[in-house]
Amino acid sequence: MAAGSVAPRLAAVVCVALAVLAPAASGDGATLESVPDLVKAMYLNIESFPCVRLLNLSGEIGCSNPGSEKIIAPIVRFRNNSDQLVQPSTVLLPLDQMPDFFLRVSNDPELHQKVAGVLVESNGVNSLQEFSPDRKFPQDAFAPYSNLSHDWNPAGSGIMWNRYDFPVFLLSEESTQTLRKVSEKNEKSGNGYKANVGEFDLVMQTTKTHTHDSASCLKEQSCLPLGGHSVWASLPPIKNESTEHQKPIILAITSQDSASFFRDRSLGADSSISGLIALLTAVDALSHLHDLSNLKKQLMFAVFNGEAWGYLGSRKFLQELDEGADSVNGISSLMIDQVLEIGSVGKALIEEYPSFYAHAEGNSSASKKILDALQSASKSLGSDNVKVKEAASSNPGVPPSSLMSFIRKNTSTSGVVLEDFDSHFSNRFYHSYLDSPANINSSSIAAAAALVARSLYILASADSPVNLMTLNNIRVNVSLVEEIIGCLLTCNPGLSCGLVKSFISPSNSCPSHYVGVFLDSPSGTQFPSYADDTSRFVWNFLADRTSTLAGNKSSCTGKCSDEGEVCVGAEVEGGGRCVVSTTRYVPAYSTRLKFEDNVWHVLPANSSDPMSAADPVWTESYWNTIGLRVYVVQDTTYDWLVLVAGFSITAASYCAVHVGGSYLSKITKRD
Amino acid sequence: MHVGFRASMTLGTLFWLISLIILSGIWRGFLPITSGAWWPYAILILTSVALQEGTRLVFWRLYKKLEEMLDSFADRISKPRLSLTDKMLISLAGGLGHGVAHAVFFCLSLLTPAFGRATFYVERCSKMPFFLASALIALGFLVIHTFSMIIAFNAYDERKKSDQIFVPIVHLTAAVMTLANLAPGGCLIGTPLLLVMAALTLLYCWRVVCRRLTEHHHRQLSN
Repeated sequence: MAAGSVAPRLAAVVCVALAVLAPAASGDGATLESVPDLVKAMYLNIESFPCVRLLNLSGEIGCSNPGSEKIIAPIVRFRNNSDQLVQPSTVLLPLDQMPDFFLRVSNDPELHQKVAGVLVESNGVNSLQEFSPDRKFPQDAFAPYSNLSHDWNPAGSGIMWNRYDFPVFLLSEESTQTLRKVSEKNEKSGNGYKANVGEFDLVMQTTKTHTHDSASCLKEQSCLPLGGHSVWASLPPIKNESTEHQKPIILAITSQDSASFFRDRSLGADSSISGLIALLTAVDALSHLHDLSNLKKQLMFAVFNGEAWGYLGSRKFLQELDEGADSVNGISSLMIDQVLEIGSVGKALIEEYPSFYAHAEGNSSASKKILDALQSASKSLGSDNVKVKEAASSNPGVPPSSLMSFIRKNTSTSGVVLEDFDSHFSNRFYHSYLDSPANINSSSIAAAAALVARSLYILASADSPVNLMTLNNIRVNVSLVEEIIGCLLTCNPGLSCGLVKSFISPSNSCPSHYVGVFLDSPSGTQFPSYADDTSRFVWNFLADRTSTLAGNKSSCTGKCSDEGEVCVGAEVEGGGRCVVSTTRYVPAYSTRLKFEDNVWHVLPANSSDPMSAADPVWTESYWNTIGLRVYVVQDTTYDWLVLVAGFSITAASYCAVHVGGSYLSKITKRD
Repeated sequence: MHVGFRASMTLGTLFWLISLIILSGIWRGFLPITSGAWWPYAILILTSVALQEGTRLVFWRLYKKLEEMLDSFADRISKPRLSLTDKMLISLAGGLGHGVAHAVFFCLSLLTPAFGRATFYVERCSKMPFFLASALIALGFLVIHTFSMIIAFNAYDERKKSDQIFVPIVHLTAAVMTLANLAPGGCLIGTPLLLVMAALTLLYCWRVVCRRLTEHHHRQLSN
C-alpha cells in the first residue's frame, strides 16, 4: 500500500509551503511567556480618573454604576455631537465634546439609557479655548447680594452638578491612545462575532444602600462629609493668650482647595492655588522684617480648606471664633479689623504689566482704607509697575470668595478681594482639570505677593506714618514662587520636592487639591491624624516663617514642652524642632453637622446663621474598589456554535468507538 | 488484563513527561527564543521529536520485557498468554497516556483564563480565538499520539520498515505544521491541516489493525 509513501510526500509539500510562508513571519514585539502574562495581555487595566457620587441634602450629583454589578459594554467613539447610539455602549468622548454631550444626556432620557459608561479622552487640549464644568455663578446661594444673574464664569456649563447614573472616567494620555486603537478595532470588525468592551467598577455604597441624600446616607454610614483642615498663623506670634490688651488684627485669607468633575484631577492652579502661593510668598517676605511687633496692628494669615464646597473652612472658622474654641485661642472675632483676601492672581499679565482688581463690598470707608493701602503699595513698587484698579461698579458685589462668609456674618466687615479679573473670570478653565500650571504665570503671582506684602505692612502701620525704608525693603523671592508652583501643581517634582520634604513626609508625589472627606475627630485637635499633604505643608511653612527661635533647641516629634511652642517638621527623619509660633489647625467641615455617638448628624438650619440655610451639606459616598478594564468578548452565538461542535465531536467519537469495536470483534470471531 | 492497561497508560504518561523534562533541561539555556525567525523553532521541534521517538523505542523495549514476564508468569499458573488484541490494547493505552500528557501539559493551565469573561486573539491569528486554536491543536495531537503508538508497536513487532518510518514522519510533520501558526493568518491553514494529519493517522492505524487481526485470525484458523 502506498500509504507509507503518502506521508513523506505530504511532509515535503508542507515544508516547501512553510519555506515560502514562514519568512513572512515578522518578529513579534511582546512575547507571552506564562499564563499570568497571558491574563495580563487579555485584560488591559486602564489608567484613569473617576468621577464619584456626591450627595447633598436634596439629592445626588456625580457618577456611579447604576447597581451593585460591574458594567460591561462595547466601546464606541463619538465623533460629533449628533452621533446616535444603537445599543447600550461605552462612549469614548473627545474632550471638546464633553459639555455638549453631558448637557444632551441630562436632557434626553433615551440617550441616558443607552449610555453604559463614558471615557473622556485627554488629548488635543491645546485646541480647547475654555472648559468649565461649574456653573456660571458658582455657589450663588451664598452671595451677600440679591443680583444672582451676573455671569462670573461665562465658560461655565454646569455639568458637574448633575446626576449621572453611569460611570465616567477621565483617561490619561497613554490610555487615550490605547482606547482610540481599541475603538478603531471595534469599528473595523463591525457587528462581527467579537467586540472590545469596557468593564467599569464604580459601585458606590450609597447606591447599594439606597440612600440618596446626605441625611440618610450619614445615618446609614454609607458616606462621609466633605471636609479638611484650615490653617491660621499670626506674625509675630501672639505672646499673651488672653484677649485683652490685644492689637486689632489685619487678616489675610486665601483658599487652598479646588473642585473638578474628576475627583483626583483637581489642581486649581489659578483658582485658587495662585492665591495660596502669593500668600505664602508674602509671609516669607514679611518674615524678614524685625519691627513687626512695634506696629499698631497684628498681622494674621488664614488658609481655608473646603471653600469650593460651601465655604466650609471660612464658615467653620467664624463659628469657632464665636464659640471661643481652642483652635482659635488668643483671638476673637471682635479683634478682626480688616480682611484682605487673595483670590485668583495667576493670570494678571494681560498687558505688559500685571494688573489686579480690588473687589470691595459696598462703599464703606473701612474698605476704602484697604484700597488706599493697595494703591500706595502699588506706587511703592513703581519700577515693577504693578497696577491695582477698583473693580467695576457694574459688578453686583464681590466675586465668589471666602469673603462672602465674613460679609454674611457681619455686613459691616471691611474686606477686599484681590483678583486678576474685573467682571468675569479670566480663568477659562475654572474648576476643571485643565486649570494647570500652563494656565498661570509665575510673575503674576510674584507681583501679587509683593503687592499684598507691602499693603499688609501699610495696613498694620494704621494711622502712624509708614516707615518707607522698611517698606521698600520688602522684597519677594521669585524663585520661591516657582519652587512652590513645582511642588504644589506638578507631579514632577511634585510633593517630593525639597521644600515640602523639609517639612513633611508626603503620602503622594502628585498633589491634588480636592478637599476630600473629613476623617479626623471633629473636636479639632492640633495633631490631626488625617490632614492632607497640602494642609500639613502650609501649617509647617507658616509655622516656620512666622516663628521666633525657641530657647531650647531640642528635637521633637509632636508636642513641645513650652506653651506657645510648636514642632516644625515633626514627620521628617530625625524629628523636627520646637519654635515659638502661633500656628493652628482649624477643622473645616459644614457648620450644620455634628458628630455624636460615632455618627454624623445633620442639624436644622440656624436662623441666626443665614449661610446655613444655603449649605447643601456635601457628602461623598463610600466605595469598595474603583477600576476600569478593557478586553475582547466573544459573541454568544459563536460561543454556542463552538460548544455544539465540541459536543458533536464527542458524540461522533463515541459512536465510532462502538462501531469500530463491533467490527473488529466480528473479524476476530469470524469462523 | 486491566492492570496491564492501567500500567501501560500511566507509564506512557510518565515517559512522555520525562522526555519533556529532559528536553526543557537541554533547551533551557536557549529559551526564550526572541528572534522572530522560524528556524530556531524548527531546530527545537526537530530535536524534540527525535528525543520523543527515541523515548518511544525505550518504552517499547520496556513493554517487551514486561510482556515476557507476564507470558512466563501465565505459563507457570497455566493461564492463557497475552493475545494479539490484548497487546494492541496495551499499546493503545500507552498511546493514550502520551496523548493525555500532551493535552494536559499544553492545555490544562489555559483552562482558568478560558473560563473568564474575556477571550483572546493573538495578533498573527486574528480570526480564530487563541483558546479554540489551542484546543483544536491539542485534539489533533491527542489523536496522533494515541494511534501512532499502535502503529509503532505493530511495526516493531512485525519489523516492517515502512510502518516504523511512518510514525516519526507523521509526528515530525504534524509538529512542523504548527510552525505555520507563526505566519500572520497561518493558524487558519495550520490547524485544519493538523486535524487532517490526525485523521490520516487514524485511517492508517485502522488499516494496520484490520490487516493484522485478519492475518492473525487466518493463521490461527489454518493451524
